[in-house]
Amino acid sequence: MSEAYAVELERVVKKFGEVVAVNGISLGVRDGEFFSLLGPSGCGKTTTLRLIAGFEMPTSGSVRIYGEEQGYLPPYQRPVNTVFQNYALFPHMTVAQNVAFGLEMKKVPKEEIKRRVAEALELVRLTGKENRRPKQLSGGQKQRVALARALVNRPKVLLLDEPLGALDLKLRKAMQSELKALQERVGITFIYVTHDQEEALVMSDRIAVMNEGNVLQVGTPEEIYEQPQNRFVADFIGKTNFIPGKVVMLSGEAADVRLEDGTVVAAARPEALGVSAGEQVVLSIRPEKIYIAPHGDKPLVPDADALTHAVGQLQKVFFVGVERRYIVALPDGTEVEVRVQNTDRGARRCRVGDRVSLYWRRAHARLLKE
Amino acid sequence: MSDANLARALSRRSRMAKLKKRLSEGLFSGYGFLGYLFLYLPIIILVIFSFNDSRSTAQWAGFTTRWYVAMAKDHQIILSLWNSLFVAVVSTVISVIIGTLAALAMERYRFWGKLMMDAVLYLPIIIPDIAMAIMLLIFFDLSGVGFEPWKVHFFGVHLAVPYSVIIGHVAFNISFVAVVVRARLAQMDMVLEEAAQDLYADPWRTFWRVTFPMLLPGIVGGALLAFTLSMDDFVITFFTSGAGFNTLPVRVFSMIKKGVTPKINAVSTLMLLFSLVLVAISLILSRGGSEEGPSTPTL
Amino acid sequence: MKKWLTLLRQRPSLQAWLLLLPSAFWLFVFFIAPLFIVLVYSFLERGTYGGVVWHFTLENYRRVFDPLYFKTFWRSFYIAAVTTFFTLLLGYPLAYYIATRPPKRRGTLVLALMIPFWTNFLVRTYAWLTLLRTHTGLINVTLMSLGWIHKPLPLFGNDTAIVIGLVYGWLPDMILPIYATLERLDRSLLEAAMDLYASGPNVFRRVIWPLSLPGVVAGSMLVFIPSLGAFVTPAILGGGKALMIGNIISNQFLAAHDWPFGSALSFVMMAVMLIATLIYFRATSGEERRQL
Repeated sequence: MSEAYAVELERVVKKFGEVVAVNGISLGVRDGEFFSLLGPSGCGKTTTLRLIAGFEMPTSGSVRIYGEEQGYLPPYQRPVNTVFQNYALFPHMTVAQNVAFGLEMKKVPKEEIKRRVAEALELVRLTGKENRRPKQLSGGQKQRVALARALVNRPKVLLLDEPLGALDLKLRKAMQSELKALQERVGITFIYVTHDQEEALVMSDRIAVMNEGNVLQVGTPEEIYEQPQNRFVADFIGKTNFIPGKVVMLSGEAADVRLEDGTVVAAARPEALGVSAGEQVVLSIRPEKIYIAPHGDKPLVPDADALTHAVGQLQKVFFVGVERRYIVALPDGTEVEVRVQNTDRGARRCRVGDRVSLYWRRAHARLLKE
Repeated sequence: MSDANLARALSRRSRMAKLKKRLSEGLFSGYGFLGYLFLYLPIIILVIFSFNDSRSTAQWAGFTTRWYVAMAKDHQIILSLWNSLFVAVVSTVISVIIGTLAALAMERYRFWGKLMMDAVLYLPIIIPDIAMAIMLLIFFDLSGVGFEPWKVHFFGVHLAVPYSVIIGHVAFNISFVAVVVRARLAQMDMVLEEAAQDLYADPWRTFWRVTFPMLLPGIVGGALLAFTLSMDDFVITFFTSGAGFNTLPVRVFSMIKKGVTPKINAVSTLMLLFSLVLVAISLILSRGGSEEGPSTPTL
Repeated sequence: MKKWLTLLRQRPSLQAWLLLLPSAFWLFVFFIAPLFIVLVYSFLERGTYGGVVWHFTLENYRRVFDPLYFKTFWRSFYIAAVTTFFTLLLGYPLAYYIATRPPKRRGTLVLALMIPFWTNFLVRTYAWLTLLRTHTGLINVTLMSLGWIHKPLPLFGNDTAIVIGLVYGWLPDMILPIYATLERLDRSLLEAAMDLYASGPNVFRRVIWPLSLPGVVAGSMLVFIPSLGAFVTPAILGGGKALMIGNIISNQFLAAHDWPFGSALSFVMMAVMLIATLIYFRATSGEERRQL
């Protein structure tokens, strides 16, 4: 709380009748940051955004923007602007009229409006389209008008509600980098709602992963991917393997876990996770973090002797161009996926039906609660 | 050999099917033509006989415009035309404002008593005009409100305001306006209003800059419908007007009761022209306006 | 003032009622209140010179079912039903015809429906008066002068004339909702039916008709209810002989000065319509109604 946040939510609850959409979340978004709210549909991310914008009023808790309590302030009195999911461009106004709308409402002098609208349209590379109607624009152009219409007001915080959701894949990729570059140029705090994990990873400075109205983890894309704090985050972001086991030893960050077949393997404990010896847990290991070799062989890495080791039987191999995917069954039946770059020669000697050895580093096996 | 026979039989069958399809299509088009003929022929004949140089409306006796001249000289008809227009304009203005507000409340809010208001708004549409007419008749009589037009004099203009008729017309027009405007509101995306609020427009300016312009086709459609219904109404006007106050339909009805003459045809043609102008206006507005025109008044 | 605004912002139902205030006032005072007054009147005795005597009685309702009046009631019901049947018979194929034209033609044809629809009902009824009248109507005059008939056909002053007038008057009301459902019909459904070996009549019976039923029901309602309460058509085409319930009601107010009895007749008529409306709401879901 001591840090100066751009947007700060404190124990915010939003109920619609009996339905709890946001379940007491606390968040701090830093000044100038590209911050994403990521989660499956219905997780409360859009409601959270609407609470910041002022379209919804919190049932309890507080929303502050640059330290100022927003309380029951209506949207038109908040220093934020929104880019809506389906653009929400006014169909009865031209591009220029759409962009000028907010400035007119703020009673900015006519000359200045003209200048700033031109600037904003230049920023999104739409100069020359001033007199078009929204109907006459392509999806990507509408998107950029929506962006200009929000940015022209120089909001303290820009809220974006799945702004790329309606675009096709290729355009979406192009807009992702454009948006990120734009954000760096204007230096405004962005709060970005998406259900697309790749989009969030590519663009964000920090991500809040949400599910069922709760924030499960906040962190940089690397932290979210490499150090998930719980099973949902590990599963939702990228691909992971869950291997059940029991804790046999704990020592600071290090933990040893006994798998169902008795093998004891190395794992890392997230700092916040309160587990005790003897407890049933799962290990989360990313498929590309596992080495596979014919039974008894060591992988061709310098620290091969320091790796932990488990044995399984190779079930299937899929060739997907850049990599091969190996499906290995552990003695207890758990299937583990291993992804190997196409350049690894050692792995290629494994045949379907063979017993194979799996290796990983302690830090890559994340201990999580069931 | 048998293959050739089969092929011939098949091609025969497909030719037959084609013929059958053409025939049914032709019959169908013929029916469509007859259907429209049924709708238009009586009106066309009505117009033709307004130019008949005889008192008959069945035997053609040459072309004349004398019935139109007679109509123009008939003070009663001219007065009743002005009365009709006055009642229609005033009741349209009132019911469009009231009805649009009602539509906004019904379409944009959830509140206690909504179901009841829904029923109250629909009833005047469902109830036959004769029932509504006698309801208002008894009400004005019992309450002492009465029927006599209210005489207004200002700046040398003498105006008889038939408030009882106007009250009745507004009472049924509110519902029709509300239905049309609600249909338009239901199509509108609420998120546009949120966008306006996000861009610093307070509720008042959100309404005038975003909601109202987008709602306009619905409001115009509702106004046209209300104006037409008001111009058309005979029954409610007949029962709620004071002695000596006629609108055009009331005047025409009493003329019909006295006897059929081409003069009535002439007045009818005039009323027909009014309807055509209204249809034309609604057409122009829907073509020139935004993507969707006034909704068709199908209820 | 400021306090009021805050209160208003926090209480949306207050905003709603503020918007509804004028319409609610108008409709409660000039519609609902009169409705209740009529209900009360229907249980009172008539005064000697018009007006009412404030004395409770069920006599008015008993008289509604008196054979003299009940016969008219039943005939009105019958005329309304026959009218509905014929508008459906004529209107359905016409709606289907419009719906199967190319989109541009469709627009023109619907517009061509709107013109008679927007034309004054009285004018349209009068047009038929000039056609149907027994001795001076165009149809009889023409047929007689052609020598096809020697005695005028009984086209006027009877139920036939009333039904013709009503069918003509309400035909667009039947066509438009049916057209609305047919136009929305997915063509691929018809293709799917034909692909599954359904012939033309079967495609209609098993696919088109059931899917257009909401439009048929709505159109029937739009025709049946005003036909049952018809006043102008029987007054003009009934020639003063063939009457419907609407005319009987108006007579109680204009000639007989029996307001309580007129009120009772109105209430029974409205009850029949209410039942018809309830059947309609039962037969169609809210979703289907909204599409019309």
